[in-house]
Amino acid sequence: MPLILHGLAPIHWAVAGAGIALITLALLFIANRRLGISTGLEDVCSFVLPVPYFTRDAVRSARKWRLPFIAGLVVGGFLSAILGGGWTPTWNLGMFDEAIGFGHAGTLAWMFAGGLFIGFGTRLAGGCTSGHGIFGLSNFERPSLISTISFMAGGILTTQLIYRVIFHLGS
Amino acid sequence: MALLYVLLGTIFGFILSRSGAADYNYIQAMFLFTNFQLYGIIGTAVAITAPGIWLIKRYGRTALGRPIAIELKPQHRGNIVGGLLFGIGWSMAGMCPGPIFVNIGEGKIYALAALAGALAGAGLFGAVYARVQGLFRLPRLVVGTRDG
Repeated sequence: MPLILHGLAPIHWAVAGAGIALITLALLFIANRRLGISTGLEDVCSFVLPVPYFTRDAVRSARKWRLPFIAGLVVGGFLSAILGGGWTPTWNLGMFDEAIGFGHAGTLAWMFAGGLFIGFGTRLAGGCTSGHGIFGLSNFERPSLISTISFMAGGILTTQLIYRVIFHLGS
Repeated sequence: MALLYVLLGTIFGFILSRSGAADYNYIQAMFLFTNFQLYGIIGTAVAITAPGIWLIKRYGRTALGRPIAIELKPQHRGNIVGGLLFGIGWSMAGMCPGPIFVNIGEGKIYALAALAGALAGAGLFGAVYARVQGLFRLPRLVVGTRDG
């Protein structure tokens, strides 16, 4: 299956997994940091929302690595597009366009709603795919196992509902 | 150090971009059980990271000689409820938090709406924390003992 980005062929899962592992281990071994991206959402919120949740020590003390790391993610996506065929703003959303096709305004509303669940859910669970799913599982932490099973279940139920019940796919 | 974090993030973002982890179709295919790619990625990442963390903890120090300190995440009811909610969002947007930023870098316009939603959702959680703290047995916040 080609990627949405320029129809590129994806790199092998074993290579991608090993690369993610090396970055995770480098963060820990060089910088003493546990990989975690969704906490970075709090860093951004902490600039504008002075409630205790965002001004707690765990957030303030990690700003100096989380925000540069997140900036790197944007750069990584940008370089990937440039090296893979050029950077062009796009609305292409693959099978969403084929099966659902809400148009631009509808897509933005759908994405904002999805984002609300992501932001609220990851903060309530205390982490996302990176902090719970990769680092937490690798460090044998029980809350991470519980969270990972929960978010996989939430995703599986939602996608099955959307693509097998509400908007039928061809297959 | 900031430059190092940008560099690590860039490599991480590039891998997410080219592996399918930041691709709407691949996320749906994972949840539909029609494609192995993302299970392979997460499985491989954990299979290598786990012994790596064990070795680093055994060594006990960072490359710069500081003692290794891993902040553990608390266990509470929010792990389950928050996880389920995040799963719904992951399916809807076809992105988890890292790929939101990667997709913005790639030029996918709709990812900006997902980011706005994610920030609003995180902001909402911060604003209602004191009110849902008891319900989900969330930990007490440590504020103002250390400078940021």
